[in-house]
Amino acid sequence: MGQRTGRRQFLGGVLAAGLIPKPTWADAGAPAFLSAAARPDGTYVLCGITAPLEVVFEIDLPARGHAATAHPRRPEAVAFARRPGTFAVVIDCLQGRAKATLTAPEGRHFYGHGIYSESGDFLFTTENDFEAGQGRVGVWDVGAGYKRIAEFSSGGVGPHDIKRLPGRETLVVANGGIETHPASGRAKLNLPDMQPNLAYIDDGTVTEVAMLPAEMHRNSIRHLAVSAQGAVAFGMQWQGDGPAAALVGHHWQGGAMQVMRTPGEDLRAMAGYIGSIAFARDGKRICVTSPRGGLLQTYDAVTAQLQDSRPLADVCGVAPLEGDFLVTSGTGVLQRMYRLAVPHAVPLMWDNHLVAVAA
Amino acid sequence: MRRFVMVLACVLIPSAVGAGPKAMVIEDSIEGHILPRFVRLAQTSDVLAQTAGRACTGAPDALVRAYWDAFDAWISASHLRFGPTEVEDRAFALAFWPDSRGKTPRALRKLIAEADPIGLSVTDYAQMSIAARGFHALEFLLFDPGVRSAGDAGYRCRLVQTVAGDIAVTTAAILNDWQTDDAARLRTPRAQGTYRTQDEAVQALFKALTTGLQFTSEVRLGRPLGTFDRPRPKRAESWRSGRSARHVMLSLRATRDLALRMAAGDAAVRAALEDAFGRALTRLEALNDPVFAGVADPQGRLKVEVMQQAVDGIRAVVQQDLGPTLGVVAGFNALDGD
Repeated sequence: MGQRTGRRQFLGGVLAAGLIPKPTWADAGAPAFLSAAARPDGTYVLCGITAPLEVVFEIDLPARGHAATAHPRRPEAVAFARRPGTFAVVIDCLQGRAKATLTAPEGRHFYGHGIYSESGDFLFTTENDFEAGQGRVGVWDVGAGYKRIAEFSSGGVGPHDIKRLPGRETLVVANGGIETHPASGRAKLNLPDMQPNLAYIDDGTVTEVAMLPAEMHRNSIRHLAVSAQGAVAFGMQWQGDGPAAALVGHHWQGGAMQVMRTPGEDLRAMAGYIGSIAFARDGKRICVTSPRGGLLQTYDAVTAQLQDSRPLADVCGVAPLEGDFLVTSGTGVLQRMYRLAVPHAVPLMWDNHLVAVAA
Repeated sequence: MRRFVMVLACVLIPSAVGAGPKAMVIEDSIEGHILPRFVRLAQTSDVLAQTAGRACTGAPDALVRAYWDAFDAWISASHLRFGPTEVEDRAFALAFWPDSRGKTPRALRKLIAEADPIGLSVTDYAQMSIAARGFHALEFLLFDPGVRSAGDAGYRCRLVQTVAGDIAVTTAAILNDWQTDDAARLRTPRAQGTYRTQDEAVQALFKALTTGLQFTSEVRLGRPLGTFDRPRPKRAESWRSGRSARHVMLSLRATRDLALRMAAGDAAVRAALEDAFGRALTRLEALNDPVFAGVADPQGRLKVEVMQQAVDGIRAVVQQDLGPTLGVVAGFNALDGD
């Protein structure tokens, strides 16, 4: 299954013998990133990627994945099915196998994203209460074997990405605003009156809702990145006809939303669609990808100006790397954005998101 | 130059298989498909407004017939959701559906209960919430027993005239835009235009085709199907006027027309499309269930599911056969849409 099966089997044996009481990410080959991917034979996997861009494990998934989230301490990750999936798989990245499956409760489905609490004791998942047409956040008790223990409002309709502010338990949710119902697949049911927002949640209560100006209400806020300083960057997907006014925004809790300024042609080239977003390690730059435009762009987070725009076919995943960004594409490319080396082309189609492992 | 080529390459991954020249496909789609549909929509909507002006109480036959014709014309054009239909939400003002929160009947009942003067003026009514405008609002006014007996009959009569008049104004505006501006934009791509290249124009047409088919499968059929444990026959489109299956038929015929024009010279793709559309239309006829009421029992449900699979069969042919001949194959992530 994995490329370093031997090492993992060895570690599994060591573990069984009780020699490593508390395994860490280092024991799983020290992946710095996780990404779902499709294999050429049509099967799906979750991969661990090290900082030198080695794929250290490939673990089978039952269906196409969307995003993953890494446990802050233990070598454990949750891979979410593509929307509107009703399952998520908890993967033991040391043993290379699933250790639990999360099933969405009756009347709910997942949106493909989730985040651990700072302690790693709880997992939060974005969900759709599809009969009510309202977004929810599900709470799962990690220590109890990922038992569903609670849920609360996401503060809007169609929540997608969810992140946590650094060093705190405050959650931030991208409520995309789009109502869908599993009986109607991925069809959008409420475009004329969709109302996306960015919601901050403390202790299960929405404490702040930030919104775009009314004329941008068809800009679905989908993906988030949080800087080490606590700024939130968001990538949008335009649901109107004609060109979008902006596709990238920036917000500090308690402040007003700011959208990034993009010259007309560069904006248009993104085809109204941001697939992933990441902050640079220093929080000064924001990188976004558009698989539909086949482009990645970086913005100055302070001046809100476009800095750089460069092509990469079917690019989507992006994550910060020291002084750089790592990007992935559906054509198998895995490369640094700036320090150009020969891109690693692997026989994998990298799926939407590249997720940094905290440890 | 290199950058330009790479950008283009990932928007449209060109295929070696050739269809007819793109300009021909675009021209034929405009002249043979788009313009005739919006002409017919404007004409039948005008007749609807005039007929409503003469008689509107108790849904007399002439008014229902005029409503029928104009709604047919809209459904037959409803996949063409780009350009003029999207200006000022015109398409949603013609057809606010699905209405998952019941906004249309709520807005109409409020208007009627208050005898709101906005319902007396076609000009003012353009400012009304789109939920209270268009063909679905008119359906409630003409066919829903509750709304038909609410409030003052005289006001309701005037409201029918206003909604019909508003439909006529909206459809005339869509046609005018197509004839005076948007047909030329689509026909003659240019660097600063709505469509920069012929590929972008073809892609807009292809997207109209695929989203039209998606809507028929996932919404027109998917909404009433609901889940096995909870079928939702009352979520069928326009069940009050008995038009649900008719809308599926009209939309399949309309998308077939567009698909065949886009396949142009490729005989094999045309044959595959004819086959897939033919199978779906035959199944729909055999279903003989005008409002998909059958979804409520397991056997009837199975038949509607098979119908949905037949539409998904068309979608597969469009993606796998027609897409590559037009050079509009999207990548793994580009296609995902999430």
